[in-house]
Amino acid sequence: MAKRNSSQQGDVPILETVGLSRFVRDGGNIKIILDDFSFLFGKGHIYTIIGPSGAGKSSLLRLLNRLDEPTGGDILFGGKNTREYGPCQLRRLIGCLFQTPYLFPETVRDNLLYADNKLPSKAIDRLAEQVQIPSSMIDRDVETLSIGEKQRVALARLLATNPEVVLLDEPTSALDPSYTELIENLVKAIVRQMSLTVIMVTHNPEQALRIGGETILMVAGRLVESGPCEKVITDPQSEAGRLYKAKRLK
Amino acid sequence: MTSPTITQVLLSLVLVAISIAVARWWRIPVAKDMALGSVRTFVQLIAVGYALELIFDLESLWLITLAILIMITVGAHAASSRIKQSKGAFPVTFTAMIVGSLFTLVAMLLLDIIPLEARYVIPLAGMIISNSMNASALAIDRLVSDIQSNRPAIETALSLGKSWRVASGKFQRDAATTGMISILNFMKTVGIVALPGAMTGMILAGAEPLEAVLLQVIVAYMLLSSVTITSVVAVELTVRRFFTPFHQLR
Repeated sequence: MAKRNSSQQGDVPILETVGLSRFVRDGGNIKIILDDFSFLFGKGHIYTIIGPSGAGKSSLLRLLNRLDEPTGGDILFGGKNTREYGPCQLRRLIGCLFQTPYLFPETVRDNLLYADNKLPSKAIDRLAEQVQIPSSMIDRDVETLSIGEKQRVALARLLATNPEVVLLDEPTSALDPSYTELIENLVKAIVRQMSLTVIMVTHNPEQALRIGGETILMVAGRLVESGPCEKVITDPQSEAGRLYKAKRLK
Repeated sequence: MTSPTITQVLLSLVLVAISIAVARWWRIPVAKDMALGSVRTFVQLIAVGYALELIFDLESLWLITLAILIMITVGAHAASSRIKQSKGAFPVTFTAMIVGSLFTLVAMLLLDIIPLEARYVIPLAGMIISNSMNASALAIDRLVSDIQSNRPAIETALSLGKSWRVASGKFQRDAATTGMISILNFMKTVGIVALPGAMTGMILAGAEPLEAVLLQVIVAYMLLSSVTITSVVAVELTVRRFFTPFHQLR
């Protein structure tokens, strides 16, 4: 098993992966998606996962959200194996926002109510405010929104499930720089204000530096380096980290 | 109308010849299919005519059951081969057609709508089975195509903590509706746009029109029941194959 990397000293652990792996059949071959990934995520912290394409970043998020099953290893949430939770219950505790947001073809309000149909009007207003959606937009059809607005509605909908961990899979990859900055600031704000744990995949090391917190570098399904983002990105200790910094790993 | 003679059947081949000539004139590449179809129609119907005479004469419950099972098996095979992704579809179409057809037939017998005689059971079973065959093929085809083309919508719902049944609910309902659409359309226009087969057949055989209409009403209700049950069972059995026990989309 790979060395278990841990969060900062004294952190309250919320999510832990132990020897997590996922292999899939690709024709006659076995393809390694994730290999022996062990890490301890602390409560109320922000983590960015960087790495070249095909490193297993998004696959890790799918396993944490239990949209896929691991081939081996365990995921512990609050010290309890996630297999002991019902998948639906777990997904409300560990929510996931995908790269391209899918909104149900109704209004913004309907989308928020989809996450929680008992959500009172005041809570809808509060969520909208949290992600900087103007109140005039709440009853608009989502088809009329820009991609940046859609991403914020998707984030508000995710927050409506009251998660403790938020998984973000390249949430700004389709956005222009102004919306990217807005989402980055929102992510930092929700960690600060709601003490949520955020795990964000990004293909952009500069974005990881702007977000701050801890960074995990993955290459070919393996965790190769982790630590404070400045250190992992600007002064990597591993050979793979140095190659990635030199943009020789795509 | 007197009973048709072989001479009359042979004379009606003039209509087949005209159809083939029109197809050739318009260069529609179906002339061969038309010729083959006409021969098949003759051979298959003559064969079934002899088989029905035998079954009606023997009046054996076992023979009636065997005939119905053969009809359902052939129908289920035809339905599954019409589905674009037909791998593993036969057990589904077979089960759905068995449940839909037998429920309707047994209900009609128990309610004393029809007597347990081959003369009534076999022709009505034929109508039920052919409609159930179309319903199951249409419903499954629609469900498979909808689930495959709506993965982001389904996975978004799952990631928000919805069960597989809720996440795929819209697509299940749409598919079941597709299976029922032909009988619903038929019931909307019956008697106005077209005179249906059973009724026409009775009138041609010399029955009073009102007597024929009553039978046709029973046939319409019978088809509604079998098509509804077959569609719902086909959708229920198919949708389960798309999800793991952990509410994951395969």
